[in-house]
Amino acid sequence: MWETVAQAVINGLLIGGIYALVSIGVTLIFGVVKIVNFAQGEFVMIGMYISFFLANQFGLDPLLSLFVTMPALFVIGVLVQHFLIRRVLGPNDMPQIFLTFALSLLLLNLALMLFTANYRTVHTSYSDEAFHLGGLYIPEAKLIAFGVAMLLSGALWVFLHTTDLGKAMRAAAQNRDVAMLMGINPNRVFCVALGIALALAGAAGSLLMPFYSAYPFVGQVFVLMAFVAVVLGTLGNVMGALIASLMMGIAESLGIQYVGADSGLIVVFAMLLLTLAFKPTGLGGKAR
Amino acid sequence: MIRHGLSARTFLLLAIGLAVMIALPLVVKSSFAIDIFIRILLFSFIGTAWNLMGGYAKQLSLGHAAYFGLGAYTSTILQIDFSVSPWIGMIAGGIVAMLASLPIGWLCFRLRGPYFTIATIATAQALMLIFLKFRDFAWGAEGTTIPNLGNAPLMMQFESKAAYYYVVLGLLVVGLAITSIIERSWMGYYLVAIGEDEDAAEAIGVNAPRIKRDIYMISSFLTALAGTFYTQYIYFIDPATAFSFNISIEAALVSIVGGIGTLWGPVIGTVLLETTSTLLQSWLGSSIGGVQLTVYSLILMAVILWRPTGLIGLITEAWQRYAKRKPARA
Repeated sequence: MWETVAQAVINGLLIGGIYALVSIGVTLIFGVVKIVNFAQGEFVMIGMYISFFLANQFGLDPLLSLFVTMPALFVIGVLVQHFLIRRVLGPNDMPQIFLTFALSLLLLNLALMLFTANYRTVHTSYSDEAFHLGGLYIPEAKLIAFGVAMLLSGALWVFLHTTDLGKAMRAAAQNRDVAMLMGINPNRVFCVALGIALALAGAAGSLLMPFYSAYPFVGQVFVLMAFVAVVLGTLGNVMGALIASLMMGIAESLGIQYVGADSGLIVVFAMLLLTLAFKPTGLGGKAR
Repeated sequence: MIRHGLSARTFLLLAIGLAVMIALPLVVKSSFAIDIFIRILLFSFIGTAWNLMGGYAKQLSLGHAAYFGLGAYTSTILQIDFSVSPWIGMIAGGIVAMLASLPIGWLCFRLRGPYFTIATIATAQALMLIFLKFRDFAWGAEGTTIPNLGNAPLMMQFESKAAYYYVVLGLLVVGLAITSIIERSWMGYYLVAIGEDEDAAEAIGVNAPRIKRDIYMISSFLTALAGTFYTQYIYFIDPATAFSFNISIEAALVSIVGGIGTLWGPVIGTVLLETTSTLLQSWLGSSIGGVQLTVYSLILMAVILWRPTGLIGLITEAWQRYAKRKPARA
């Protein structure tokens, strides 16, 4: 009994690390650029396909492909901000929501056309390895993914709090107009924010590849989680998104364990609806 | 600028348009073509229902599949378990959807802008999961076929496709009439004010929560009617089709591409998107997945980046340029 609970919590916590990478990206973009990136999940999907093809063609370990996916997605992020998002920043909600939504539809369906709906997997030497801790079972690939995810989240936190560019980003998040008066170039800050957020999504893709299949719709799973985590963790708050993601991973895993294999998402939606009903500003939020 | 009646010329144009639409199935006999017309009318109607709330009040829902599905399931359950005619089931489905929109709206309207959109996606997905899981009252994931009664107009079943065409044409006329009435009423102005700036609208005394609740109820009611019609038309229901995310997407897409917050926008948008999709399918075949939505998303991006007022905006501009060039008649 005790062990089943502990095992479910561990499983949830480990996958929660991946959710955290995706939600931190969403919340960073929301905080700094004030838009919701509906396509964030599709960038995880792109990261997974890059890792898959590098592993398949050149035998590159998916974890090493981090060094390819992260810079590649950083560049894509800068391009997306510069050529697409910059053109719809304004007081109007409709273009902002539907531009990234259209981007998500486009990437997903392009993937469907190019790669078909088949599931792609990469098998590594550590894919089936696991640590045993008492009666508990800790898969090695998931543990590595969780560790790297926490490391990257920590690095982002240090970047945001110690470097000038990071401080400029936080300033732009707090008050864009005042930040501009202080001489911060908003487009440059926005480009970096998009770049970092997409690099995190790419990292999530590489980290997932040793134990998760790549397919065109894979991003939808993660982006839905990320949206709920971002609402739960207070919009625009990086630390809130991290904690909420880990909680959601655990909640989903307990839902699968105790409600039914197909009920993980129901638990997640229930959490979203309860948050909206009782604390719409998120766990640490104040009234807007 | 409140216009009270229709001008004689507009009335004449509408009458001619309606006559052409009524005569169409008498001229075009190919069931393939009728099928496409039915799709165009159906999605024009769903888009019109979405546009009332999404277009005028700019409450950008991506969860209208929830009401489409509730309408479809209500009438089907009534028909199969209680032998109630889908004509009555259709209205019942509309009422169920209206009632469901109250708690859903209460939750979702706590958020604004993009997070309202996300909350609507989540509610529609949650409803789909509920219908997938609870098989005792709704057949679970396998769904069910609608018993085929042959030609039974009282049970909304017809042998000729043309009959379905007239049903959905009737729905669209009702939807457009309601939109037109609301557009000209005070409610229409309140909706536009909320869409422009909700805080400012509230500051000048618009009861935004009430207006949003009311328009959500009307929009949900109409969307549910489409759900019943669609199920009767394809003789099949399951959670994946009834609550399909694609329904939510297309409802919003046709309105935005055609012209968001305009009477004819959803119709024009549907004609463009459905025609493109049909041409693509006959050109490429339907073997490659994803082609249709790839093209839709490119069209959507193009509209957002270059012409946020949609095709209606493009047509109006072209007309104004033409009208200006024409010398005034004495």
